[in-house]
Amino acid sequence: MRRVSLLRLIAVFTWTGLSSLGGGRSAYFHEALVRRRGWIRNDEFVQDFTLSQVLPGPNFSNLAVALGYRLAGMAGGVWGLLAIVLPGAFILVGAAILYLHGAFGGSATPLIRSLSAAVVGLVCVTTLRIVRGSLRGGRGVVVAAATFLAVGPLRLSTVGVVLVMATVSLALHWAAPARSAPPAETTTSPEEIC
Amino acid sequence: MGDLALLTWTFLWLSLLCVGGGLGVIPEMERQSVTIHGWLTAREFVDGYTLTQLTPGPNMLIAVFVGYRAHGAPGAVLAGLAMFLPTSVLAMVISHHWQQWRTRRWAATTERALIPVGVGLMAGGVYTLARTAIHDTVTLALAVLTALAVATDRVPAVLAVLAAGTLGWLLSR
Repeated sequence: MRRVSLLRLIAVFTWTGLSSLGGGRSAYFHEALVRRRGWIRNDEFVQDFTLSQVLPGPNFSNLAVALGYRLAGMAGGVWGLLAIVLPGAFILVGAAILYLHGAFGGSATPLIRSLSAAVVGLVCVTTLRIVRGSLRGGRGVVVAAATFLAVGPLRLSTVGVVLVMATVSLALHWAAPARSAPPAETTTSPEEIC
Repeated sequence: MGDLALLTWTFLWLSLLCVGGGLGVIPEMERQSVTIHGWLTAREFVDGYTLTQLTPGPNMLIAVFVGYRAHGAPGAVLAGLAMFLPTSVLAMVISHHWQQWRTRRWAATTERALIPVGVGLMAGGVYTLARTAIHDTVTLALAVLTALAVATDRVPAVLAVLAAGTLGWLLSR
């Protein structure tokens, strides 16, 4: 059941959490767990990512719980969550104390902007890899494209879009289930998407 | 005491509104924290959000920032717990059962149906991020450089991002 030891999991989650700068944090997890270490297959990551997005709650912590659970059961989920939330929380409180004492001027803004731009490059690559490994068949492409248009360019409310698109997608997939029955067959090996 | 309970309750229900990435809940969180309850000023809220982007960890740690500003350490702890604990328990329960459910046909079909929605949300998140972060040729070039470096699989993501961030910072001086 356990793929990695708890200590390894805590170390990698803590480091990945600490080193994920500038937003788009799940991209760093994809890189650390799928690409570099091969602990999680791409299709498993997509499942957990989808779960973390569709369930209520901050998606980064949901993702840490789901990935941690997959790697080391309940304990993995709990420690995965603590490993990504606690270090950041302490650092943020430290930063908040400095900020509320007026320690920051405008000097940090250009650095934040540059980091955010660089992160866009990272998340583009990660998203392309995930899309290539997970979208099968016309229905999936149409649903994904419509969801993207609705929450991206059209700026519609995410909650509403998820409710509508999930219903539409469920109807489409129930009306004509895919030919290949077991979910294991729809998985993609990490090599396939490299 | 009453206000601490109100703070905890507010972030609890706000956490349930975070679907498909936290960005969607930010306007409502600002309205609650600034306009309705006056826990901090609008300027402090925006700066706090920027701080959560600069520091590691989930962006929704903004709850800890607001809690700290409003009630010090107890506020930070309670707002953080309210934001992360209940939804994490839910994620754990669903993760636990999903591994058993997904061998059944209804669950497999549901999963196949939800994955394109998740992928679309992710792509939409990239779009939103790009719209705020890419606003001239320099930021575009930084994004392209980072993408090329990451695509080779030879450079750790954090190094690529830090290098591009530093380059952009030097260029802006």
